[in-house]
Amino acid sequence: MMPATPFFRAMSAILWKDLATELRSRELLSGMLVFSLLVLLIFNFALELDAKARANVTAGVLWVTLSFAGTIGLNRSMAVEKDRGCLDGLLLAPVDRTAIYFGKTLANLVFMLIVAAIIIPIYSILYNQNLFIPGLLLVILLGSIGYVVVGTLLASMAVQARTRDILLPILLFPVIIPVVVAAVKASGGYLQSIPFDEISPWLNLLGVYDVIFTSVAFMVFEYIVEE
Amino acid sequence: MKTQPRLLLIIDFISVILLIIATILVFFVVPTEAVMGLVQKVFYFHVAAGWVGMMAFFTALVAGVAYLVTKQARWDRVGLAGIEIGIVYMLINIITGSIWARPIWNTWWTWDPRLTTAAIMELVYAAYLMLRSGIEDPERRARFSAVYAIVGFVSVPMTFLSIRIFRTIHPVVVGSGDPAATGAFDMTPAMSQTFFFSLITFTVIFVSLLWHRVRLADLSERVEQLKIRLSQ
Amino acid sequence: MDAPADTLVYFIAGYAVIFLIMGIYLASLIIRYRNLRQEEDTLKSLEENDR
Repeated sequence: MMPATPFFRAMSAILWKDLATELRSRELLSGMLVFSLLVLLIFNFALELDAKARANVTAGVLWVTLSFAGTIGLNRSMAVEKDRGCLDGLLLAPVDRTAIYFGKTLANLVFMLIVAAIIIPIYSILYNQNLFIPGLLLVILLGSIGYVVVGTLLASMAVQARTRDILLPILLFPVIIPVVVAAVKASGGYLQSIPFDEISPWLNLLGVYDVIFTSVAFMVFEYIVEE
Repeated sequence: MKTQPRLLLIIDFISVILLIIATILVFFVVPTEAVMGLVQKVFYFHVAAGWVGMMAFFTALVAGVAYLVTKQARWDRVGLAGIEIGIVYMLINIITGSIWARPIWNTWWTWDPRLTTAAIMELVYAAYLMLRSGIEDPERRARFSAVYAIVGFVSVPMTFLSIRIFRTIHPVVVGSGDPAATGAFDMTPAMSQTFFFSLITFTVIFVSLLWHRVRLADLSERVEQLKIRLSQ
Repeated sequence: MDAPADTLVYFIAGYAVIFLIMGIYLASLIIRYRNLRQEEDTLKSLEENDR
């Protein structure tokens, strides 16, 4: 039976559903944001930074913050589907499974980028460092894509386990390391104005990761939700 | 299916013989390296163990794909066997890597690409087992394990690459590499032969262990079925 | 020419670890197999008695 709803319409429908829900309740974003700010705060005390040391460490702090806030967002995003039975409802609809996945992934990406968009100015102010560099913003985009593509996939599994809250970070972090390494090095590169030649391998790695895992997710997601 | 198949017995026998020969080669035949001394000899089984770890992971990948395509439960057992063996042999690889690093670089741990990637693979294996223990329905558990094995395996080359671009002080053995890396050594023909012999030995050992572990899983499944039948 | 570094202790430690871990894993396989076989035999005889 052909899916009655074309792929992109289904995907957008899910994307808008998530965005609209979040617009009303704002619990996901507020959770991620408060958590990010707390992490930034803790780092301030954990790493006694003079101005010079700070430049080296900013990229790392940024990505640690995003990584941890990201798991909170992913967990909430998928848990909502499961707990309210939305996922079952979605699956009954004549919709290509993968459209559901891409819809969720895009929504998660939007949330992550919103959080990044808020903590960057805050970080800039708190640490007196300009983070509004176009290259840096590109890295955040590419890194977030990689994170969210794999994260949504794994979260849709983790949420069905008994140990759901602790399981997602455990599944995700080992597999996301290329993203974190490349993103931190590329971010640091842009912050320290290193020549583009030295940054480009990292950007390439991010791009390759994003493409490879989007393809993997495309092929594999239907096996996660078939019941 | 209860007594060992004849082929398996033969493989067992061969792996024991090969291991004995390999050990003799390493302990008594192959020359000692000029700079590092005896500890360099750990390298032969260290790399072989890492090789088993990677074969094991690859086995889990193939089993995962096979399970998703065929839905035969046996593939899930093969995948689990692969991961379990991978954990054990990667652990050997990591610990011997650390032991080797200590006298050479005066540190118990080097954040170099190969050792770090091995540690990360170990974490992926552990995550795989934690995923399995969190899901009770056998069919779903098999599906999810297969998916994670695939995702995990695909991530490893990129992980290695990312750390390699990051830094390296691991000895570059075959081919050229970063000239600034210390701990490199040239291999004489005797060393190369011992090295490849060790790889072959451990490959045969892996096949034997995998087969045995899958048989163990089959037996476990039979016992489960018996319990279910009896409780009805 | 300098003599190679004296790293005998590490060599021994390395191979001790290798054989120890390989041995423990092998033993665990054997023990698990035996236990399961016993369980299988017990369950089978129970099944026989049921009939």
